Amino acid sequence: MTSRTLALLVTAFFAVIVGIVFQQIHTSMHEQGIASGGPYDNAAAYPRAVAIAIAALVLVQLLADFISDRKETMRLPPDAFKRAVGLLVVFAVYLCCLGPLGYHLTTTPMVFAIMFICGARQFGKMLIAALVMSFGFAFVFEKFLNVVLPGGVFRLNIPW
Amino acid sequence: MKLPKSLRTIAATAAIVTMSAGSAIAEFPERTIELIHPWGPGNAMSVSQLIAKAMGEELGVDMPVISTPGAAGTKGQKTAMSRPADGYTVFDGYVAPLVLQPILGNADWTFSDFKPLNAAVSNAFAIGGRVDETRWSNFEEMMEYGRANPGELRYSSGSRNNLPHMVIAKVLQSYGVVAQNIPYTQDGNAVKDLKSGVLDFSFINVGNYIQDKPAFNIMLVLSELPGAKASYDGAPSIADLDIDLGLSGLAPMGWTWWIVHKDTPDDVTEKLRSAMSAAMQRPDVRGAIEKVGFVPLEWDHSQYEEVVGPVLDQLSAMGNALKWEEEELKKLN
Amino acid sequence: MLFESLLAGFQLFLTPLAIGLTFIGILIGLLVGAMPGLGPLMGIILLLPVAIGLPPVAAMGFLIAIFVGGSCGGSISAILLRIPGTPLAAATLFDGYPMAQKGRAADAIGIAISASAIGGLIGGVVLISASPLLAKFASGFAPPEYAMLAITGLFAIAIISGGSLIKGLISGCFGLLLATIGTDEFSTGYRFTFGTHHMLNGFHIVAVVVGLFAISEMVYQVIGNDLLKKPDIKVERPGFGSLLRTLRHWGNLIRSSAIGVFFGALPGAGGVISSFSAYAIAKSAAKEGEKYGEGAEGGVVATESANNATVGGTLVPSLALGIPGDASSAMLLGALLILGFVPGPILFEQEPEFVGGIFLVYMASNVFLLFAGILATPFFVYVLRIPKFYLIPIILILCSIGTFALQASVFDLMVMFGFGLVGILFRAANYPLAPIVIGIILGPILENNLRRALLISREGYWIFLDRPVSATLVCVNVLLVAGALYYACRNRKRFFTKQEV
Repeated sequence: MTSRTLALLVTAFFAVIVGIVFQQIHTSMHEQGIASGGPYDNAAAYPRAVAIAIAALVLVQLLADFISDRKETMRLPPDAFKRAVGLLVVFAVYLCCLGPLGYHLTTTPMVFAIMFICGARQFGKMLIAALVMSFGFAFVFEKFLNVVLPGGVFRLNIPW
Repeated sequence: MKLPKSLRTIAATAAIVTMSAGSAIAEFPERTIELIHPWGPGNAMSVSQLIAKAMGEELGVDMPVISTPGAAGTKGQKTAMSRPADGYTVFDGYVAPLVLQPILGNADWTFSDFKPLNAAVSNAFAIGGRVDETRWSNFEEMMEYGRANPGELRYSSGSRNNLPHMVIAKVLQSYGVVAQNIPYTQDGNAVKDLKSGVLDFSFINVGNYIQDKPAFNIMLVLSELPGAKASYDGAPSIADLDIDLGLSGLAPMGWTWWIVHKDTPDDVTEKLRSAMSAAMQRPDVRGAIEKVGFVPLEWDHSQYEEVVGPVLDQLSAMGNALKWEEEELKKLN
Repeated sequence: MLFESLLAGFQLFLTPLAIGLTFIGILIGLLVGAMPGLGPLMGIILLLPVAIGLPPVAAMGFLIAIFVGGSCGGSISAILLRIPGTPLAAATLFDGYPMAQKGRAADAIGIAISASAIGGLIGGVVLISASPLLAKFASGFAPPEYAMLAITGLFAIAIISGGSLIKGLISGCFGLLLATIGTDEFSTGYRFTFGTHHMLNGFHIVAVVVGLFAISEMVYQVIGNDLLKKPDIKVERPGFGSLLRTLRHWGNLIRSSAIGVFFGALPGAGGVISSFSAYAIAKSAAKEGEKYGEGAEGGVVATESANNATVGGTLVPSLALGIPGDASSAMLLGALLILGFVPGPILFEQEPEFVGGIFLVYMASNVFLLFAGILATPFFVYVLRIPKFYLIPIILILCSIGTFALQASVFDLMVMFGFGLVGILFRAANYPLAPIVIGIILGPILENNLRRALLISREGYWIFLDRPVSATLVCVNVLLVAGALYYACRNRKRFFTKQEV
């Protein structure tokens, strides 16, 4: 991936953000009647100004990226790339399952999977570490900080 | 030889999990009960924490207060409503999300959509100005000044369209005075700007008043209850005005009545009710509440309809005061 | 008045919980500082959810101690591993590592910790004496002043902090925009909430920040090749004799601490700039025979006292005005708001005992730093040997439970993950993340005070020029912009690309 592709990616990100701002001003905020008037009633003027500032700055930056002849190529070893994506996927799946399945059923497998992605292969040690980490944190947060961790559909909560 | 060891650990985990699953059928309450509080931290939240702590002690479990501020309290209400009706979620039913926001058309529930526990606390507001004010010395004179200079007065009710705003707008409307409300995120900053001369008058709650009594000229206590007048050291109240605002009882005040989901099982609700009324009767709890300037309320669940009903009627009747203020301000600009 | 508030603060501070947590905070701070890639900001972010469930003084003691410990911990790994645990310790490398190579690692760590603690205490004296004065001066500030002050803070951060000016401004504006999500206080309308009640109050700042910083950092860590490796380091045991060695450099200590306080109080500057400046000045003022760069004690003294004095300095505008000096103090302000305190003059007026408590926890954490740092160094060495594949899942669990615990909401977890992806994109494209946090904190101050000022005003925008302080700030802002443009024209490269520190 080159720095130029990244610059385009960031520009696209901000284009979407600025687009959302204007779309919301013209639909939702207009319907609520808060897109016009004085400072008491007009909630749109300030976000519009900030969005315009972002758009202008991003354009200047984009221009600069293309004028400058510096073109770095960032190369990530395929292994490292796989690990990064693997971590994100495992974490995303974990967060999605946390609500329906609850903390206690999901956390140990997540920790185990992350260690596996990192390259650890001593399964017994990993399992113990995963159990200690997930139940240890649950104990501290539920016992001392009064947090009710997600129980999921099975309502799995440990009364410490 | 590593696998058997891990298998044993799995078996141990399974045992823990089944144990905890088994206890789910046990008697209510077997875990932490959460109180959803609609405001950010501050006096109101401390008071709720006090009651929740005592109520938790009665029930034998912890009762943390979860602060979910936003949208004049409706965010907290919606969050609480999205939880299961199992008695593990209690709502701190403040008047703004419970009664006022539905009147203003910002919420689609009514107070009778919930099962009441005990009434919790109330707190009265007042309109205050500076002690060194030269343009007027009492409320009537300020109203005269306001009539002579439409749109000149700047005041703050904390946030826009909250209960103090509604009551102040009603008072101003009765006197035919148009003034500009300036919303503030933190009441403390409104009070600071009142002191430094940026605002002409402001809503003052008992907490602000207790903190710095000599700094304020309390011009009007927004409640006709004698207790409220007393917390402001006998300042004039709406009962002393020549005009009738049509507000009585809890209507012009902030208050909260703890409630639960309508589908909460009756035996669970009963347990919560008796724990809360026991907590509310404890002298230590009442003392701590009164120290902050709030008033502990006596009503139990059977009086919910007869107390909250009239509040709804009175607030609905004055709903046009806010609209009136907005339109008059627009005319001036 | 100051004395009274300190006295009242004693009662709040002298509880086993507050003292214990301040001590634990120092240990955690040293730990996150020593671990490469983490640092004080990350420590504050990860433990903020824990702190906000505690009594206020204990909570602030915990977080401030993490800030203090984290600003020092980086030196341990800089000296032993030649990897600064945080950018704050980058300048400590110059002389700290050569000292270690000469077999004086224990001395170097001892001096780094002593200098940090003394620099921190000097910063504390300034904090305690200057912030009440600034708060008193600012008590007459009204919405116009605050609006202008927020703009000054934002400009200063984009201009002074290292990195591309434009990219810094874009990040800052992105933060401002994020702060507009939710219910608008003035119109009471909903902005960018997409009809869901989860967004009625915007994204929770902790969910956003955990995602931006911690999740993206974990992805960057997992890219590295040293996930299973145990670094091979010898256990070092510094002694209290290094305190005396440090005190011999008293001139250097005072000068470097003063530099640290100054850059700390300036919005946008901060520890990295102050430690490099203090090092450069110490080097030029070196006596004959002191060989900077080859293991001179003075080099370590200069950088470490400066970067810890910065902490005291940065708390001055944060507490007295509510305007954060850097991302870490922005998070401390966020914590204060969540705990129900409004930073700024009214905090000093209405909660003097709480302010006194904050002063005390700050001073105490620097004292604890001296003892804990010197006694517990062997422990940190052991921790540095723990391979990363244990560390990454621990931090991921902490992120998830911590974020969930804020409002018991699964939605916050999704927000955290989403901002994790944004954080990765920003890091990859060299956009600084810190201005986003500062933008989120300054956003409501800027917008609300701007609109409040216009509502109060009877002649529109003139209100900003009618009031002397506000008019001065307008001039400062104009000068900042003019200066930045002038600088940009002269030095186009720095304007667009990242400056290598």
